[in-house]
This record gives sequence, structure tokens and C-alpha cells, in this order.
Amino acid sequence: MSDNPTPPRPAAVGAEGRKAAASKSAAPGKKTTANKNAAPGKNAAPGKSTTTPKSTEAARNTEAAKSTATSKSTTPGKKTAPGKKTTANKSTAPVRKTTANKNAATSKKTTASKNTATAKSTAPTKGTEAPARRPRRRPRFSVERGWFPPLGAKGRVALVVSLLTGLLTHGYHLFRYPLYLTDEGIYMQRAWSLVRETSLSPYTYDYDHAPLGWITLAGWVFPLPKQFETFGNAINTGRFLMLLVHVAAVYLLFEIARRLSGSVLAATVTSFLFNVSPIAVYFQRQVLLDNLMMLWLLLSLFMLLRREVTIRSVFGGGMALGIALITKENAIFFVPSFMYLLYRRVKGSASSRFTSTLWPFAAAAPIGAYVTYALLKNELLPSGFDFDLNNPPADHVSLLYTLWWQLNRNQGTLFSHTGLLQTSWLVRDKYLLIAGVCAMVMCLWIGMRDRRRNLGFLIAGMLALGYAFYLVRGSVVLDFYVTPLIPMLALNLGMVTDRLLKGTFANRFMRGAHSVTRVAVPSFVAILLLASPASGYLVHTNTEGHTQIADQYQSKINLTGMQHAQIAWVRKHVPPNSRIIMDDDLWGELHDVRPFYPYAHSHWNASSDPDVRDKLFKKKWQYVDYIIMSNKMRRSMMLNNGDGRENWILQALRNSTRVWSETRGNIKLEIYRVQ
Amino acid sequence: MIVSIIYLVLIVVSVLLTVQSAHVLYLMLYTWDRADAERRARAPEEFLPPQISFSVLLPARHEEDVIQSTIERVVRANYPAELLEVFVICSQDDDGTIKKAEEKIDDLKRKGLRNVRVVVFDDKPINKPHGLNTALPHTANQVVTIFDAEDDIHPEIFNLVNTVMVQEKVRVVQAGVQLMNYESNWYSTLNVLEYFFWFKSRLHYHAHFGSIPLGGNTVFFARELLLRLGGWDDRNLTEDADMGLRISAMGERVRVVYDDRYVTKEETPPTLGHFIRQRTRWSQGFMQTLKKGTWKKMPTRKQRWLAFYVLVFPRGQALLGIYLPISLGMILILKVPVLIALCSYLPVLLLAAHFLVQAVGLYEFTGAHGLEASPKAIARMAIAWFPFQMVLAYAALRAMRREMLGRHDWEKTQHVGAHRATTEEAESRVG
Repeated sequence: MSDNPTPPRPAAVGAEGRKAAASKSAAPGKKTTANKNAAPGKNAAPGKSTTTPKSTEAARNTEAAKSTATSKSTTPGKKTAPGKKTTANKSTAPVRKTTANKNAATSKKTTASKNTATAKSTAPTKGTEAPARRPRRRPRFSVERGWFPPLGAKGRVALVVSLLTGLLTHGYHLFRYPLYLTDEGIYMQRAWSLVRETSLSPYTYDYDHAPLGWITLAGWVFPLPKQFETFGNAINTGRFLMLLVHVAAVYLLFEIARRLSGSVLAATVTSFLFNVSPIAVYFQRQVLLDNLMMLWLLLSLFMLLRREVTIRSVFGGGMALGIALITKENAIFFVPSFMYLLYRRVKGSASSRFTSTLWPFAAAAPIGAYVTYALLKNELLPSGFDFDLNNPPADHVSLLYTLWWQLNRNQGTLFSHTGLLQTSWLVRDKYLLIAGVCAMVMCLWIGMRDRRRNLGFLIAGMLALGYAFYLVRGSVVLDFYVTPLIPMLALNLGMVTDRLLKGTFANRFMRGAHSVTRVAVPSFVAILLLASPASGYLVHTNTEGHTQIADQYQSKINLTGMQHAQIAWVRKHVPPNSRIIMDDDLWGELHDVRPFYPYAHSHWNASSDPDVRDKLFKKKWQYVDYIIMSNKMRRSMMLNNGDGRENWILQALRNSTRVWSETRGNIKLEIYRVQ
Repeated sequence: MIVSIIYLVLIVVSVLLTVQSAHVLYLMLYTWDRADAERRARAPEEFLPPQISFSVLLPARHEEDVIQSTIERVVRANYPAELLEVFVICSQDDDGTIKKAEEKIDDLKRKGLRNVRVVVFDDKPINKPHGLNTALPHTANQVVTIFDAEDDIHPEIFNLVNTVMVQEKVRVVQAGVQLMNYESNWYSTLNVLEYFFWFKSRLHYHAHFGSIPLGGNTVFFARELLLRLGGWDDRNLTEDADMGLRISAMGERVRVVYDDRYVTKEETPPTLGHFIRQRTRWSQGFMQTLKKGTWKKMPTRKQRWLAFYVLVFPRGQALLGIYLPISLGMILILKVPVLIALCSYLPVLLLAAHFLVQAVGLYEFTGAHGLEASPKAIARMAIAWFPFQMVLAYAALRAMRREMLGRHDWEKTQHVGAHRATTEEAESRVG
């Protein structure tokens, strides 16, 4: 980042004017036209500064603003605020009013001429030629100064529609699609451990992720009536939280897009893609830390996009960012954009010294708690400061060692034929990804060309770019790592759509046509996406060449039902004291529903956790009774077997007979009994 | 059983401390956090013509060194002499100060200024509120104000207050007081910042919610208001805070003006001993005021709560002084579970936030007064931080002991004029 995020000393001039203007526009009960007229005058007023003397006109101007503002707020406020009612006793109130009037009058005398002059020059025919409407001036808009257009009736409708769409696309069929995945199981199992055992993991917690994500899950599950089984099973219960998270995220993303672009259209397009894109539906329904992280991140961004940047909102925003960071560490790649936005927004304000120091402090606070936790458990540093990657410390886990190890993983195969980009992401929604990346480039270009005016574009582009950099930099990338990129690409697409459809026309007919176009073109593309089987947004072409409702909404497909059948068979035929090797997605079912299967462990733990591997299974295939298998698990066992750690499990598999199986499409579930 | 009770106490106290210090932090930043508050706190940019007449009370005890220059500064203020009268208040046994003051008065008379008088009282108790009460019947002007003998008042202060009182129809104005000598000794930086945050930010919050402990000087009252209230409480060690709460209880609006340009400049107590004595007096005064119960007569619950909150603070500080070492010991000795230890991370975090805010505040303060903060000053502040808190806690404990023993005499703070040197230096640096 070329821009230094530490703000310079307040250069009071622009700042004060801005602040006064912001508060002015925030004053309740004012019409927008009044606002518009007031704005230029305000803007012209030089700010106050403590050291430099001020021109008297400016003084009077702000004074008048002050007194009118106060008189306005105190008179109606009398009924509501009990404190005010008593302190401002009767004798003072009317007097105040008169002084305010007087003030306003004098200010009018001195500056009104100027004000009206500017107003006239900008909108000259407003009063005189009422019927012939001038081209409607767009409301003043600036991300930097917090001048956001009001939401308005259309905006409210768009917001409600977006929220409902999100509820529908993510809620409908939530428990049936997609298949329960390993990672969902792991997070729920850790939440289970928190609720049932007051521990961060049923196994040794080795700081692979910061724990706030599953602490949140545990906090969600704990007060529910049937806890983990409230919505059937543990993962369903987690998924329901994801639905709520998604709806909240839609609201935040909608507002963020609107505030960055100043346009409801951009916000609507953004929300549409965020709601309907199949890749979004696929990953956002899953119980993933990334989804929780994204909510905090959007909240943090939203806090920086408040109308007025108060110390409290900045502190809250910093705190939310810190929480995002200890929910999932990859949030760090958004931080540069946040820093830049903060810098631009607080630059020159009276409180900029406080905001620019308290924001990083607030962000560091949750991380500090996490580090303190490791410190208190004496698990911060590896024993003997030994960071040798080939020789992991044996006696205890260590936060910093794990971090170092993660930073040094280099197995990126993102762009190869077998890479995730080709096999998973593009298959799910190539339109969003390809168009989104193009939009990102455009946003960056627009933003860089005029950093002052196009701050919103620059921020949107930087957000997507920062995270894209994380994905392509060549480290380990898992399937769901793409999740945080989705809202950012949607945001960029929304903003670019709005920009491309922008235009001002003097001609009345053209203006009408233009406003129709602004709605018609995006609607047409949306309908195209929904109707085309190639997109998979609503319909797709199945393997037999028939067009049908896409998997995520297909009522005939019940992927998780297969997993339920698998569990049902286990419950019926496998004794609870059996030693079982399985995948993590079944963990909650076997450990939280009676009869419990305390000796059922995932192959990940069986191959790496010393307690499970050496004490329970003794690394011998003969100690395994059952293997609950899926083709996905088989693949990950192969991949995880680089050092031969899964060999004894594979040997058990070879010495077993299949007792149950079910296949649908490319999904195959099996149960093996070991001889 | 005992162990779990200890854990519970640790958690509860940690959470309470966190909430409390977060609130204090908010009050410290109140003015900066709200654009309108900051704007309202400022002085008007243009002054109205002089209209209100002022009676200035200058209580002085053993102030031979500074009294003459103080009188000089008041009468030389940029305000018509016929609208000013000055009363130097001394007790009869303080011959030195009386003599110096009379010298000065003669000197002024030779130059044609006849609006300064000395008021002497010979009855007990010998303290500031009693002196003020003695002088009050002698005053004749519309507004009564108090300056301490060591105050460096701004020449425009009367114009400022005149404008505010006329424009806003307020009858009580508290203008800013600011310690200046932030580099004099190890505790002065923190002491200066306390004033800075108190007058620049926190008092505005109190004024806004109508529950304000006033400061001891640069405070302006309509004379009839003082007469109606019957003057100051001369048994109270912090008669100023008590007066503020009584005025708030009447429903009178108090206007606070802290404009960096017009503050009254003061100095930190010269030695640690003096500092502790001053702080003890304040703490004990707050305890007295709390016991007196004026705060209970406030009209709304919010006002009562705010007043109670301010007054009870010294007790809290005393308890905190006891609690901190104990809790630290507990955590180290008892090997408390990680979760409970994490709870005690919260107040530590808030302490860090406080320190950060004060460090930033130092830059705000020096920036506003044309001084320059150095990283060295920050480092010194960091080192002095914990001892300073302990000194405050000690003073609070000391006040509690004195209050229990029933000792209510004044322990006076000595003034040597350190701030004057600083300000001159500062001005020369700016120039």
C-alpha cells in the first residue's frame, strides 16, 4: 500500500467544514432539498482552528448553524429526554429560541446573499420555471465525508426483497444440500466439546485455527431447547445459524455496496449475486468459519461507513475486525483496505488522533486475548524456541509454531488441471468468478484514476484483490477458501454495473429511457442467469441431458438423506463399544445421540492424534472394528498419506468386508466391517 | 467452596472494573466523540460589548510570592475597570499576604485603579469557602467569580464569559482550567492530562446531563443565585463540587467552556507530598459531599446516579488500590483456571486503552497549546503510570482514614509559580 495509514495532524480547514456539514445533514426532520441548499454554503465555510484566527464570516456562519441546530433539537426533544426537560427550565427555553432566531437572522444578513447566490447559480430555474424540470441533480455523495444518499422508498423495497431472497435461496433445502462435509463436522465437534466438556476440542487443540468460530457455534447451540439436535443433528443446527448469518450479511453487504457506490442499483445487484450464485449457496450454507468471519468483517466495514465517524463506531469497527481475525485468520488479507478506508475517513477530523490509534488497538484486543490464552496454557512458544519444521515439538503444541508451519506450507496447485479452480470453483459459477475478476480490475482502474472521488471503487477493488492475492499466492488452498471472495466479487460487479449504466441526459425522453435501462438491463441479465441451464443458478442440465431444477433447490435430491441412512444402519447393527474409523461429519451423531459411540473417531485423528492413534488403536488394523466410509474420505485418506500415517487404516480397509453401501451420482457411501 | 467463591469474586470484580473503566474512557473521549459536543464546548468567536459587571474573589493564604502578579493580571484584563471589582480575601493571621496585597493596591491607586480591596476575616474555620462567604456580602456586581492566587487568567476571560452569559442566558459558567507544567516532575504529565480530559471532555458530559461538580476557580455565578443558595458550605473540603451539585439540583443550567485559547493556567503541586495532600482533600471532600446527600435531591434518576458515581469514585479508587495487589497475588498463587485468568485480562486491556488514550491526549494537549510532546515524555508517562495510580489509591485510602477519624481540616497546596515559567517558555517557543 502506497498510502500511509497513519493520519497527519489535523489540517483543520477541510475537517471542520466537513463535520459541520455531516451533522447538518444528520439533523432530523430536514428535507433533502433544504439539505442540498445548505450544503454548498457549508462547504464554503472555512473551518475553525485553535491556532489560526478565523474569518468573522465563517464564525458567524457556524455559530448560526449551531444555534439553529440546538434550537431545533431542544424544542422537540423536550418531551422525550427527561434530563433536558428539567434542566432547561421554562424561563430559558423561549429566550433561547429568540436568540437562535436572532442569530439566524444575522447570519442570513451576512452570508445569505452568498448562499442564495451559489444556490441560484447551481440550480437557477428551480423557483421560476417550475414546470420545465431541469435534469435532476444527483444527491451529493462522498464516501470520504460520509455523505450517503438516504435509502428512500425504492431502496427499502430493494433491501427487503434482497433479504427475502437470501432467506429463500439459503433457507430452502438447507438441510439437504450440500452433503455434510468434514470441516462442518469438525467445527460442530469442537462446539460440542465446549458445551459438554468445557474444552476447545475433544482432542488436543493444536491452534490450527483461532477458536472464536466454534465458540460462537457453542454459544448458539447452548441455549437451544434440544441443543445440538434442535434441527435434527449437530450440523443442521449449525447450518441454521449460517442461515441467520447470511441474512444479516445480506443487510450489511447491501448497505456497504450502497454506501460505497451511492446507488441502490449497485446494492441490489450485489445482493442478488451474493444470494443466488450457486457457488455462494453451496459454501454459505455450510457450517464454515469463513461465513462467521465474513459477518464480522462486513460489520467492521459497515462501522467505518457510518455517516459520522465517531470514536465509538471506529472502536466498534476495530473490535469487529479483531473478532473476525480470531474467527478465521484469513481476514488479515482485508486489513490493508480497511486501513486505507479508515485513513481516508478520519483524515483531518478533530478526533483523528484518537480514532487512528484506537482502531488498531481495538482490533488487536481480541487477538491479545487469544495469545494470552496460549500464554496462560504455556503453549505460545514451542519448547526451546525450536521452530524446526521438519521436527515438530513433541511435548506440547504451540501457537507460534503452528503459525510458522502454516506460513511455510507451499503446495499450491490452484491453476493446474486438477486444481480447485478447474474442478470445483469454475464448475459452480464461472460467471461470477470471471466477470467478478474483470469487475475487480475495472474497479481498481476507476479507483486509481481518481482516488479522491472514486474511493468506493478503490476500496471494493482492494478488498477483492487482497483476498485474491491470498488464494493465488501459492499456499495450500482448500475448496471452501473461496467463500470470502464471493461477496467481494459480487460487490465489485454491483458497483461496475451501476457505473456502466450511469449517464446524465438533458433530454427528458432520454432520461426516462435511461432510467428504464438501468432497471431493464440488470433484470434481463438476471432472468437470463436464472433461466439458462448453463449457469446453474436456478436450473441446470443433468447427466442425462434433461433440464431440471438445480441441485441446491431440487426437491428430489436429498444428499444428506444418504448420510442419515448410513447412520441409521450403524445404530441398528453396530454395537456402541465398537472402535470405529469414520469422517468428522458423523461425529456429532455418534457422540451426542444415545447410544453414544465413544470409540468412533475420524481418520484424521486416528492417524495423527497420539491419544487416539497410540492408545486406542495402537496403530494396528486389528484394533479397528468398523470403517464408515465415503468416496470423499477415501480420497482425503490417500492425500493425507504422504508420510504413510494412514497406512494401518488402509490396511484395515483391505482386511474388511463391505456390509452396507449406497451410491448416487458421484457420491458413494459405504460401511466396512474389519475382520 | 472457598476457592469457588474467590473465583466468583475475581470474575465479578473484573467485569465490574471493565465496565467502569470503559465508561470512564467514554467520558474522557466524550467531546471528541461527538462533533456537536466539541462545537458547543468552544468559546464564541466574536465577543459582545462588555455589559455584565464582575466581582472577582481572590482567596489567598500565604501567597506572598504570587499575589501581586495575580492582582495585576486581573485588573489588567481586557475589560472596563468600572465593570470589575476585586476582593483579595485573607485571614487575619496572614500578615505577609495582606501586606503584599495592600502594597499592590496602593500602587494601583497611584495609577488610578481603585477597584481592588482586601477583605480580612478573623473567625474560624480558616479555609477557602469561609473566606468566600465572608467576601460575598461585600460584592455588588452582577456576577461573582473566583480565581485562585496562583491562577494565570486569560485577559479575555471576562469578555468571553460576558458574551456567553448574554447570548445564552446562562447564570453559571465554568471556564477551562488547565495545569501546564507537564514536564516538571514524574507525576506532572499525568496530572496535567487529568485536568485536560476533565475540563475538555468530561465536564461537558456532566453539564449536558445536569449533574456537574464544578471546579474551584474560573467559575462564574450570578450573584443573586449565590445569595439564594446561602453561599458556600464552609465545612466541606470540596465546596466547589458541592456547589455544583446544589446548583444542578436547582435545575440551573451550567455552561462549560473549554477553549484551549482561553483556559486559566495553573501548576501541578510542587512535591509529591503536596500532591497527595491535595488529592486527599479532594477525595475526602467528595466523601463528605456524598454523605451530605445533596445528590439525592436531584430531580432525575440519571442526575442522581451521575452525581453518586462521581462522588463515590474515591472510595472505589481506594478499594481498587487494595484489590489490585490481592488479585494479582491470587492469580499467581492459586493457579486459577485459564478461563478465569482470561477474565482478568479484560481490566488489563482497559488499562492499556486508558494509557493509549492518555498518550494520544498528551499530543492533543501539547498541540493545542503550541507545545511539543516528545517520545521521551510518553516513555516517562509509561513508567510513571502505575506508581501514579498507586499514589491516587493511597490518597483515597488516606482520605478514607481521615474521614473515619473525623479530621476535616484543610491541608493547603503550596504554589511556587512553576506554570508561569512554562507558559512563558511556551509562548516564546510559539513566537
